Amino acid sequence: MKKQFIKTTIAALLSAVIVSCADDAKDEKEGAKPFASRYQPQEFAPVFITNATILTATDEQIDKGSVYFKDGKVVEVGKDLSEPSDDGLIVIDAKGKWVTPGIIDVHSHLGVYPAPGVQSSADGNEMTAPVTAEVWAEHSVWPQDPQFSLALAGGVTSMQILPGSANLVGGRSVTLKNVLGRSVMDMKFPDAPHGLKMACGENPKRVYGSKGRAPATRMGNVAGYRKSWIQAADYKKQWDAYKSSVEAGKPGKKPKRDLKLDTLMDVLNGEILVHNHCYRADEMAVMLEIAKEFDYKVSTFHHAIESYKIADLLAENDVCSAMWSDWWGFKQEAYDTIPENVALVEKAGACAVVHSDSAIGIQHLNKEAAKAMTSGNKMGLNLDASDAIKWITINAAKSLGIEEQTGSLEEGKMADIVLWDGNPFSVYTKAEKVFIDGALMYDRNNDELQPISDFDLGTIKPEENRL
Amino acid sequence: MKLLTPIYTVLVCIASFGLSAESILIKNAKVHTQSEQGTLEDADILIDNGKIRMVGKGIGSDADRVIDAKGMQVTPGIFALNNSIGLVEIDALDQTADSYVDDEFNGVSFSPEEAFNPNSTLIPHNRANGVTRTLIAPAYGNHLLRGQASVMSLNGEYHPLIKKGVAVFGSYGETGSNIAGGSRATALKQLQLLLDEAREYSDNYEAILTGEYRELFTSIEDLKALQPLIKGEIPLVMNVHRAADIKALLRFASRNNLRLIINGAAEAWMVAKDIARANVPVLLDPMDNIPRSFEALGQRIDNASLLHKAGVTLLFQGPGFQNTHNGHTVRHSAGLAVAYGLPYDIALAAFTSTPATTFGLSNYGQIKPGFNAELVVWDGDPLEVTSVAEKVIIDGKVMSMVTKSKRLRDRYKNITTDKNTAFNK
Repeated sequence: MKKQFIKTTIAALLSAVIVSCADDAKDEKEGAKPFASRYQPQEFAPVFITNATILTATDEQIDKGSVYFKDGKVVEVGKDLSEPSDDGLIVIDAKGKWVTPGIIDVHSHLGVYPAPGVQSSADGNEMTAPVTAEVWAEHSVWPQDPQFSLALAGGVTSMQILPGSANLVGGRSVTLKNVLGRSVMDMKFPDAPHGLKMACGENPKRVYGSKGRAPATRMGNVAGYRKSWIQAADYKKQWDAYKSSVEAGKPGKKPKRDLKLDTLMDVLNGEILVHNHCYRADEMAVMLEIAKEFDYKVSTFHHAIESYKIADLLAENDVCSAMWSDWWGFKQEAYDTIPENVALVEKAGACAVVHSDSAIGIQHLNKEAAKAMTSGNKMGLNLDASDAIKWITINAAKSLGIEEQTGSLEEGKMADIVLWDGNPFSVYTKAEKVFIDGALMYDRNNDELQPISDFDLGTIKPEENRL
Repeated sequence: MKLLTPIYTVLVCIASFGLSAESILIKNAKVHTQSEQGTLEDADILIDNGKIRMVGKGIGSDADRVIDAKGMQVTPGIFALNNSIGLVEIDALDQTADSYVDDEFNGVSFSPEEAFNPNSTLIPHNRANGVTRTLIAPAYGNHLLRGQASVMSLNGEYHPLIKKGVAVFGSYGETGSNIAGGSRATALKQLQLLLDEAREYSDNYEAILTGEYRELFTSIEDLKALQPLIKGEIPLVMNVHRAADIKALLRFASRNNLRLIINGAAEAWMVAKDIARANVPVLLDPMDNIPRSFEALGQRIDNASLLHKAGVTLLFQGPGFQNTHNGHTVRHSAGLAVAYGLPYDIALAAFTSTPATTFGLSNYGQIKPGFNAELVVWDGDPLEVTSVAEKVIIDGKVMSMVTKSKRLRDRYKNITTDKNTAFNK
């Protein structure tokens, strides 16, 4: 977003002494903000949930508490709140039920690998060059993927959709609100930064090595990242110099725009967050060196099977680890799994996130977090629900750079809220109601409030929906 | 010297008795017997000489080892189904995988059990999480009937075969169509040809073996392997999803007097009554609700529950992608099925006693006097995500709970304060 702002500024300075913002967009194509979010929260009555066990994702569990939200925002959370006097207030007695922030999955391919999983709509991996920073996942997202609604029934209110991991640099990710829309723009989380998908290890070297081209080794991988960052740093230098020249009133030659380097430059400018698929601890450590060399930050290591081996280093560098509770063994780099991984990362004071990378897993992130918590407790780490909830809410929001807007139940934040029919860390518990920006978007007890994609409509029997 | 021999013999006897036949009393547990005794609260289980001797309340404490299981629950060991435990170490490394073949010759006679590696890290990993036996099956192949499944113990011993060739595995639907040249219709035709030739072999094997018979399409090995199938001695487990395909297979099985088991079964709920009427069990992953192919459009989360209501026998397998490395997670899938309406005991049975019955293993799957002592003590509800296995008993022995991952955990758990000593052991 900020990138476009900078270019808008440049355009403004170039084109005239005094111009309006609207004119910028018209006059200078680069100033337009393409693919901007058009998501509009639905209007909904104010809601007051009482008698609930509330996990705020701010290290607090409130028993018999209340949550009040209105106009899309959390107004108040606490014990002994008096019932607000709004007209049309919906009061929900949540006795025996639990309330948490909406679940956030930092690693999903919904929409880019939709169901049914056929080649015609498998659009997640641009496996044509090892660095494809120019592609954007959002341009592959099929909003009618029936898997979005399944994730909603699992309490997922936001998710990051990433390109696949075949490439060293796979392209831009996009963060979505879990709402149906006619285009991906209708789903985009307002003002969420883009991410950049990078991948360590086996995948890039296998995909390109098997084609007889670089990278064929891990050292080839590293050379590939560094070569790209050298190009990006040079590109940034050209644009920074140009920007300074414009600011100084003596505009120099405008650099030629390069879609790939635009994205990499914005990482160096701190506007795009790096999401790095990386299993092995030693490779994560190398990636942190590259980040230092080129002065960018790694937001999150994904599939970080070995984070427990360098949890101290990750804490020191303020890097999140996105992890599974128990997946392992599908590749050699996924061999050294331990079920206590998440718990040990948490214990080291680093940012622990439980992610899915799966259309099934995304529906059960609460249970995945429960398994991770249980493994930690079996080794005596004393974790509880208020720790585990953070792995799938606020820490995930932090990983995506949206922690100011959502991820916890705090005054002024988006009312992305799940009402569970019991303790969310139980196999028997289901999301009963899911609110996104304060609007009830899913209700297990009301068919009318269970979104149905175009694909679900009349696919098996013309008169019926798929489910 | 003469005196030494009998003493030596006595010592050996005592030693082996101590190793294999320690008597164990599990006390005060909630016991899911899966037998006529149902679920017992505060019950005891006496194990001796590898067998369950007594199950009930207040058995007493006369045993070599007493396990106080107050607040805990006991089930038969998890019978993990349709996986490659012991046949694969790392999925992406073909050289570590013996669960599939990619040639023309090996069809239904392919039986991977000889390749079982008890030293695989997957064995202690699954065992420490409650898996005591597994039905290993050919993962995929380029034959409609890709091979035979066997039941192996996770006791860690070499070639721990419990029963060989308990079922034939195959595919219909999209996969079958692909193998048979592009149509489901040709797949059925080819399946019929296989069975017809197997019957011809049965009637004319002497002439066939001496070369005095017309040439058959199917190899002699495969024809031999088909014999128990056409005699109805073992079931045919077929991957199939689409409702119409399931019905086609039900007709096919009926015509050929086959014992059919439907595997995968995305749209089974749509034809549940037909499946129940045909007395055909369904093997499925109750967690799968993704319409992952055009033949699985009807896939839904309450498939298991709907099938049960219609009277279908259920067998559960874990999530496809992790059913080998984490075969134990089938218990969580079963818990999910309960959350969506399946009775608890049916869900538990679907990965313990039901597969034992279905695959003809008469002494396992129930906590019942005379049955194999193969069970798990859980620290809570065995289907719950916050419960773990406390003790795993196979052949009457308490198994080690050590795994490679626990070794790694212990090496790194204090890494922040102990940076320089992690690699000392």
